[in-house]
Amino acid sequence: MNKGWGVVLAVLLLLAAGLGYYGWTSGADAKSRPILLIPKTTDPRISFWQAMRQGAEAAAREYGVEVQMAGMAAETEIEGQIRLLEEAILRKPRAIILAAADSNRLLPVCTRIKEAGIPLITVDSGLSAEAAASLIATDNYAAGRQVGDAMGALLKPGAKVAVISFVKGSTPAVERERGVRDSLEEKGITVAQTLYTNAEEELAYRLTTELLQTAAASELDGFIGLNEPSTVGAARALKEGQPEGGRVPMVGFDSSMREIAFLEEGVLQAIVVQKPFNMGYLAVKTAVEASSGVAAAPWVDTGAVTVTRSTMFSKANQKLLFPFGSEAYGGLVGESRE
Amino acid sequence: MRGVRLFQYQSIHTQIALAFSALILCTTIILSYTAYRLSSDAVTGTSLEYTKELVRQVHTNVENYIYSMESIASLALSSGELKRYASLPRQDSEEGEELGRRLGDYFRSVLASRKDMASILFVGGHGGMVGGRSGESLKPSSEVRQQEWYLNAHQLEGGTAITSSHVQQLYRGEYPWVVSISKALPSTAAKPSGEGADGGVLLVDLNYSVIDNLCKQIQLGRRGYVFILAPSGDLVYHPQQQILNTQLKTERIPDILESRDGTMTFGRGAEQKIYTVSTTRFGWKVVGVVYPEDLARNKRAMQGSAALWGSLCLAVALSISVILSFRLTRPIKALEGHMKLAEKGDFGQRVEIESTNEIGKLARTFNVMIGRIQDLMEQIVQEQEQKRISELKALQAQIKPHFLYNTLDSIIWMAETRKVDEVVTMTSALAKLLRSSINQGEEWVPLAVELEQIRHYLTIQQIRYRRKFTYSIEVPEELYPYPIVKLVLQPIVENAIYHGIKHKAEPGHIRISGRRGAGGIELAVSDDGVGMTPEKLQTILGGTPRTKEAPGGSGVGVHNVHQRIALAFGPGYGLGFESELEEGTTVTIRLPELEDKGGSAG
Repeated sequence: MNKGWGVVLAVLLLLAAGLGYYGWTSGADAKSRPILLIPKTTDPRISFWQAMRQGAEAAAREYGVEVQMAGMAAETEIEGQIRLLEEAILRKPRAIILAAADSNRLLPVCTRIKEAGIPLITVDSGLSAEAAASLIATDNYAAGRQVGDAMGALLKPGAKVAVISFVKGSTPAVERERGVRDSLEEKGITVAQTLYTNAEEELAYRLTTELLQTAAASELDGFIGLNEPSTVGAARALKEGQPEGGRVPMVGFDSSMREIAFLEEGVLQAIVVQKPFNMGYLAVKTAVEASSGVAAAPWVDTGAVTVTRSTMFSKANQKLLFPFGSEAYGGLVGESRE
Repeated sequence: MRGVRLFQYQSIHTQIALAFSALILCTTIILSYTAYRLSSDAVTGTSLEYTKELVRQVHTNVENYIYSMESIASLALSSGELKRYASLPRQDSEEGEELGRRLGDYFRSVLASRKDMASILFVGGHGGMVGGRSGESLKPSSEVRQQEWYLNAHQLEGGTAITSSHVQQLYRGEYPWVVSISKALPSTAAKPSGEGADGGVLLVDLNYSVIDNLCKQIQLGRRGYVFILAPSGDLVYHPQQQILNTQLKTERIPDILESRDGTMTFGRGAEQKIYTVSTTRFGWKVVGVVYPEDLARNKRAMQGSAALWGSLCLAVALSISVILSFRLTRPIKALEGHMKLAEKGDFGQRVEIESTNEIGKLARTFNVMIGRIQDLMEQIVQEQEQKRISELKALQAQIKPHFLYNTLDSIIWMAETRKVDEVVTMTSALAKLLRSSINQGEEWVPLAVELEQIRHYLTIQQIRYRRKFTYSIEVPEELYPYPIVKLVLQPIVENAIYHGIKHKAEPGHIRISGRRGAGGIELAVSDDGVGMTPEKLQTILGGTPRTKEAPGGSGVGVHNVHQRIALAFGPGYGLGFESELEEGTTVTIRLPELEDKGGSAG
């Protein structure tokens, strides 16, 4: 061993140390990038997305990652969601969690996300083709069947119901309706009407009110709402448009404070509740795993629960129906309670 | 010693460097590891202490809130109006209404003063209810009396019932999360049924957000959190209540319920958790959860830095060790170089001594040694030279016996034939020759003396080889005083006679000439004898000393002469031969032009 050899050795050692240090910091850097959560809408009145956000935040805290949320004001702003995703590609987040507002039109941009090497996790609503690493959603068909079963328990065979659906052609709407129809068919109940509300409460209210004023309304024995704004709008219309005591039963979907109030009042007989908190939590968990190279399950069913008036205050359902930290607190500290 | 054998074929430099490196490597690793262990233990210790502290803090705060609510409840219950209101047989009577209004005002003022209180309500045993708000939306008493807090208060008969977090459903359309503190008023009119319940129940609701905020802001590491467990096993607070007890997440509630206060570790590997439990006076357990992985995250950072600094130190230390070993072994290497030179026979060199350490001493010893060797060598050379010189002296001192016999034979023969003159000449020449050869100790003689000698010799030889040759001596007189090695010319002349002229048919001539040349004095002995073949000339010039007397006689003589001159004056001087077959031979003797050495010289 001569001097030159020793110098080479020293240089190599230094180099290795430097590289190790660099790798160690750069690795940490890649892990510290935020995860982007893009729900269908950031409308604060729709508690579903708020609960999902809370679930995502809980997971973010547990896994020590940052979750940034961005979204459009309404579910129908598909172009806006595409734009958001395009911007997201440039920001190169650790992963993107997306509730697709449209399963077809978002496909090109999602393919680009995949090509950019950003893990994409879809939540609540998937895409029409394979572009996402994982879909975390309610089995909408099964949830639809639960709605149908709850409705069927209230009606006799031969009854007719109206279905208040939301965005025509969107995967969850189609799947839920199919579940409802399959379940009702088994009990000999038919779906006489299907309305589409674009997931807008006002439109649901208007359409249902109009429907109640038609002659066909007298033949309807029940109403079914397939998502939260549709349920609330239709329930409002029913509450106003039908005399007390002469109301037909209604089964709703999802939960919000107003739906719960309708449930307590008896306007709604049952609601089928998804688990948005779990969705958000699992989506972040899956995103963390996918970005760390763990293979994600292609599909996770978060399940749905049927809640009736008698079961709404059970311990398990309380947590589902009355999320903490939202408007559910009947009085936050420092707020007036009049 | 296998280890030593490993280094067998490597230099001391490598060995030292390797030894240093091994030493440094071990110490660095040990140091880095212990530093890491110490700091990680310290960090773990502090975080656990910190967790305990935080949990204690939450415990104290929660306890304070609950107690303040309890004291409000006790205060309200001890008011005379409430007792009166409770003891009324019919609370919807006029007096009941009046009392209810006043109680309501009182409750409202309490509620207004406490922002952390969600509601306050008295449910009378007879169906009357007084709330802290003008509540037309208050649910009917029959429904309220089914609720958990009411039943709990009943069971405890006067004790304080704390109902863990739940959604309060007193008012329509409002579903606040609360923690309920409820107390039953002892029945004034004891009923035979033994139910002391009819005194009514006072409810104070603590805003759940108070506890939520208390616990939410607690940050235990990256993923740690605090939760609160009621003795019933219900969770008062948990940051992930919605997903708890699904397949996604579980807490070891039975274990925690049975545990004492302190720290416990559950789970394995990545899912390991450290629980820190602290039990409040009313049975709630405040639990802090820390993931050792979080600590390990710090550990990873510490490992990284330990490794980084360790390797940096290692790199520096190794380069220093290489340089050091180089510095240490450089003098040894230099010494080695000098030894190689000495091996090649250069004893004139000396090692420069830079240090006083062992290597310096070694170098000094080496210097002394090669000094001694050099002295010895010189001594040997001198001795050899002396020996040679003495040998030569012995040689030159001898007049060859043959010559003597032959000369004496000649003298006898001449005496027999009455050649008196020639006998006299020869005998006197022989006598002079013998005298000079007996006259030892003088190696140097002036050229004149030498020429005199050669004349005597030639005289003798001329008589012996009658009419065989003639000779002439043509040396300038100015060269006469210059010293010359004694008996130089005689062997050459002898050669000229025996090898040059003896075998020639007609008489030859020997000419001895001298001149001052560029490098000194040149004497030349030329004959016109048979000459020599180039091969023979080569052997003479090659100067293979032949100790054996050739039958022809000479050889050794000529060589000795050359040796003597070379020894005396250096390699530039000596004999030169030129010869051509059938033409003759010229021997040139080159001598330095020395100052008159005046007789003998060493």
